[in-house]
Amino acid sequence: MANKLKPLRIGNLTAKVPIIQGGMGVGISLSGLAAAVANEGGVGVIATAGIGMLEPDFFQNFEEANLRVLRREIRAARAATTGILGVNIMVALTNFATLVRTAIEEGIDIIFSGAGLPLDMPKFRDESTQTKLVPIVSSARAATLLCKRWTEKYDYLPDALVVEGPLAGGHLGFKLDQIFNPAFALEKLIPKVIEAVQPFCEKAGQSIPVIAAGGIYTGADIFRFMNMGAAGVQLGTRFVTTHECDASMRFKQAYLDSKKEDIMIIKSPVEMPGRVIRNAFIEALNRGEKEPYSCPYHCIITCDYQNSPYCIALALINAQKGELARGFPFAGANAWRTTEIISVKELMNSLIEEYHQAAA
Amino acid sequence: MADNELENKVRKIIADRLQVDEASVVPAASFVEDLGADSLDLVELVMAFEEEFKLEIPDQDAETMKTVGAAFEYLNKKVAEIG
Repeated sequence: MANKLKPLRIGNLTAKVPIIQGGMGVGISLSGLAAAVANEGGVGVIATAGIGMLEPDFFQNFEEANLRVLRREIRAARAATTGILGVNIMVALTNFATLVRTAIEEGIDIIFSGAGLPLDMPKFRDESTQTKLVPIVSSARAATLLCKRWTEKYDYLPDALVVEGPLAGGHLGFKLDQIFNPAFALEKLIPKVIEAVQPFCEKAGQSIPVIAAGGIYTGADIFRFMNMGAAGVQLGTRFVTTHECDASMRFKQAYLDSKKEDIMIIKSPVEMPGRVIRNAFIEALNRGEKEPYSCPYHCIITCDYQNSPYCIALALINAQKGELARGFPFAGANAWRTTEIISVKELMNSLIEEYHQAAA
Repeated sequence: MADNELENKVRKIIADRLQVDEASVVPAASFVEDLGADSLDLVELVMAFEEEFKLEIPDQDAETMKTVGAAFEYLNKKVAEIG
């Protein structure tokens, strides 16, 4: 059958199902969710942002706590699956370098890296490194720049590229006025990125699979993007409302309870817009109220931590734990469409079925 | 290379990349605030400087070049070093 869902190949790795579970921080996608997705033939991804906040000594030993939990989560996931596992490490993290080194040491299959351009990422690998490096970009320009820089400086091309459009959850790689501008829609970006990387692929004699992300909700959406030339898709929101998602039930309930008008864009303290589910905490911030805190560690390079009315890392970990009075959930544009908590297996099966229905 | 010659080249690269008038590329101009550069523009500029002057600009150095004047100063110094 010509329209059968094709596996996703990234170098020598083959994901039977071309669905990547997007890394979701803080603490939303850890070993539990990642392993469940990998077990279903997709790519499971552990989010590393603020991962050490799960430890009691986080405030005293920020760096060490992050690396300790990263190792523990990678090992726990590995023990639970033989499938493909990745980590998401944001370029904007002040401890980017040590997280990347540790993930490579632990033999992670793939490192996804966005929230900035991972310009020097190949320097962390050597000839024995099997870990694949997959930048996340939001424009063809960024894709070209990365390919150019990596080729010139490291003679290395991205093993794949995730293209994250403006309907994604959490921090977005767009300016406020671009988010709802149709010219920046994912449907517009995917063909442009595929075209932009083509000359690099031809020159190097290798392919760069392009993965579509941001607002993909159904199997029919997956079909649409793969028909456009995407080699795979990355979904976040859909995986939140699964039993295996590592967030608290109250966090997942916020997704189920949300209505379309509750999904909104905020200006995050880290100088990027972010998509969230509106709640009392957000309302209070909008009224100009402040959530007192002291910055435990300057964790994101671009964070204006001296002037921010709240700490975004603390707000997100509070939400993860279900303490929604002291935080808010990041969410994709389609989070309001979620209606029930199902297993990762049920979700993957329904997406595949919908894909085949759309393709028939 | 005379300072002026280098500065002319740098000014031209900046004006080309950021699509601004060369007259607005003055030493006090901030790339982001005055010339409207975004983060990708800054990376492209640094890569264009590297190409033009055949040198390597480490990321931590690139971060210090926030104004046109800072770029002039840095590139003058680097180009003089290579001789």
